[in-house]
Amino acid sequence: MALKYAPWPGLTEDISQQVFLEFIAKEERWDLERDLRPLLATMTRFVAMRLWRERTREKPEVVQKLAEHIRQLSEEQQIEPRFEQEIGLLNECLNKLPDTSRNLVQLYYYHEIGTPEIAEQLNMKADTVCRALSRVREKLRECIQRRLQAAASSYA
Amino acid sequence: MHDPVTDPEVLLQRYVEDRLSHEDALAMMELLTRDPTWLNKITSQLQTDAMLREVSKISCRSQDFKVQMPRRHFQWRASLTRLAIAASIAFAFFLIYPPDEEAELTTNAVAVLMSADHAQWSGYSPKQGMPLAPTVLHLTHGLAQIEFYQGARVTLEGPAKFELLSTNSARCTQGKLSAHVPPQAKGFRIETPKGTLVDLGTDFGLDMNMPSPEIHVFKGEVQLHRESAAILPIKGGEALALSYPSKKSNADQVAFESLATLDQRTAASQRQAFQNWLTLSSDWKADPSMLLHLDFQDAKHTRSLRNHSLQAANIPDASIVGCQWTQGRWPGKQALEFRNVSDRVRLSLPGEYSAITLCAWVRVDSLDRAFNSLFMVQGYENGGMHWQITRDGKLRLGLAGRSGAPNHDYDTPSIITPDRFGRWIHLVTVIDPSSHEVRHYLNGELAARLPRLHTFKVQMPLAELGNWNNGGRFGSSAIRHFSGLMDEFMLSARVLSDREIEQCAQ
Repeated sequence: MALKYAPWPGLTEDISQQVFLEFIAKEERWDLERDLRPLLATMTRFVAMRLWRERTREKPEVVQKLAEHIRQLSEEQQIEPRFEQEIGLLNECLNKLPDTSRNLVQLYYYHEIGTPEIAEQLNMKADTVCRALSRVREKLRECIQRRLQAAASSYA
Repeated sequence: MHDPVTDPEVLLQRYVEDRLSHEDALAMMELLTRDPTWLNKITSQLQTDAMLREVSKISCRSQDFKVQMPRRHFQWRASLTRLAIAASIAFAFFLIYPPDEEAELTTNAVAVLMSADHAQWSGYSPKQGMPLAPTVLHLTHGLAQIEFYQGARVTLEGPAKFELLSTNSARCTQGKLSAHVPPQAKGFRIETPKGTLVDLGTDFGLDMNMPSPEIHVFKGEVQLHRESAAILPIKGGEALALSYPSKKSNADQVAFESLATLDQRTAASQRQAFQNWLTLSSDWKADPSMLLHLDFQDAKHTRSLRNHSLQAANIPDASIVGCQWTQGRWPGKQALEFRNVSDRVRLSLPGEYSAITLCAWVRVDSLDRAFNSLFMVQGYENGGMHWQITRDGKLRLGLAGRSGAPNHDYDTPSIITPDRFGRWIHLVTVIDPSSHEVRHYLNGELAARLPRLHTFKVQMPLAELGNWNNGGRFGSSAIRHFSGLMDEFMLSARVLSDREIEQCAQ
């Protein structure tokens, strides 16, 4: 949901944290006996839009336009709420990656090294590293989809 | 700044990394206008990116959140308050998205190589103490004793071809062996080309080198099972040629005596290994780049480990806290046992170093902690080193950032797996400033070669073997003690060559 209203890199984590903080800050207002999902969904939407605005307004104008364009298209998209399930599958898919791809994921996500620095260390072109990372994510997504479909067909 | 591109994959990465230039944004806008379905790609990439960030965070938290240094994502949020909030949130996320419970470890081993004397193998070459999965063992020379998990003990004399089939069965096509089968292993089977021997709790010898293979039963009873033939019992004191089963003779225990001398031969071989180590050890003591050489052969009452390096005048002896003395790799070789939270050896090494080689002989008994210390500096800052084994068996060198460079961990894959527990292993980690690498070695073989992203000198003014002291900076100290034995530790201010490392590991 955070991605739907704020399709900007690295924002989902901030949105989740902010929603959690605001929820805790107004704790006494909530009736914890009731289903909290609609409340959390509304909070997430508002927080997502607010943080998205804050994050993108510091960008150059053309980037802001692009971000707005992507956000509008994204809002029209239907995104399945199965993040938790996909995280589990992602772990399995990561283990299936070839060593080179896994190393790349390790450097970028686990050690938080940017693509220019990775390229420098691996003596590669930065664009090659960019391409490789995009492809790794695509492969991981395909792997997750295959596993979701396999799980769905096994229940059918 | 980077050059503008129109390659969608490069643009996607720049978008995900929040590094879009003016030209990139225009190119992306054009792509989206031309093909609105390209949005699916963007969304898909962002989703996977968000999940990967989450997975990497979970992995980080599951190690030891308490003293984990803030990762880059938090560095710009300088306020400690924010960090504390982030920690609470991380904890909340941990509750919401708990990591999968650790899968139960499994093993397919069926036996263990208990001892060997001058054993030479063709193909797969197991080491003493190594668990053995079903496989063909080709012992070309020497003796090897194998204990099956159900209790049968087999001593092989090379040349022999012996295939492990299960925890209570094997196949032998060549060689000579003796077997002791206790009551718990009754039913132990050895398949041969001439039939299957089923033991009913006994001692017997099998010689497959004879023109007609022979079995000699010394005690108890063995049955010979052949296709389309009645089961043939062979009693204690009897022998028979498998090709002529109707003709029994007397068992000849003398013919298998060479197999009974394994214990004595192993002891002699261990004495030799100890002598070899003493010789090599004195060579290291003469190496001027050696900062610290602890051979653990100190008088037990002193509660200190003497530094035998030439630099000993500048680098004092180490102090033992808590650890108990025990036997090391061979009889006569001493080791320290690290078992309790308090067990440690305190060291101090003045100076700063560009090149470092860390070597240790250890016996890992378990990996109970998120971080199991081999050698850790007090605290973790300003070029400090943390040499450790993670819970999942990765050998790790953590280097605390310095001069603006961030902290960084250099890990092997999981190499110290449960099948290595209880066995002596040789670990080496090298910081090589000329190749800008950190290299890890296990038993003399390269285990990982990792690019060193930021180069700075390391220092270790105060450090500990087998434990960690946080320097009182975070209040209570995370428990990172090592569980196992250590019987040698060396720290050199130069890069030891592959050949030298191989030599140390022998």
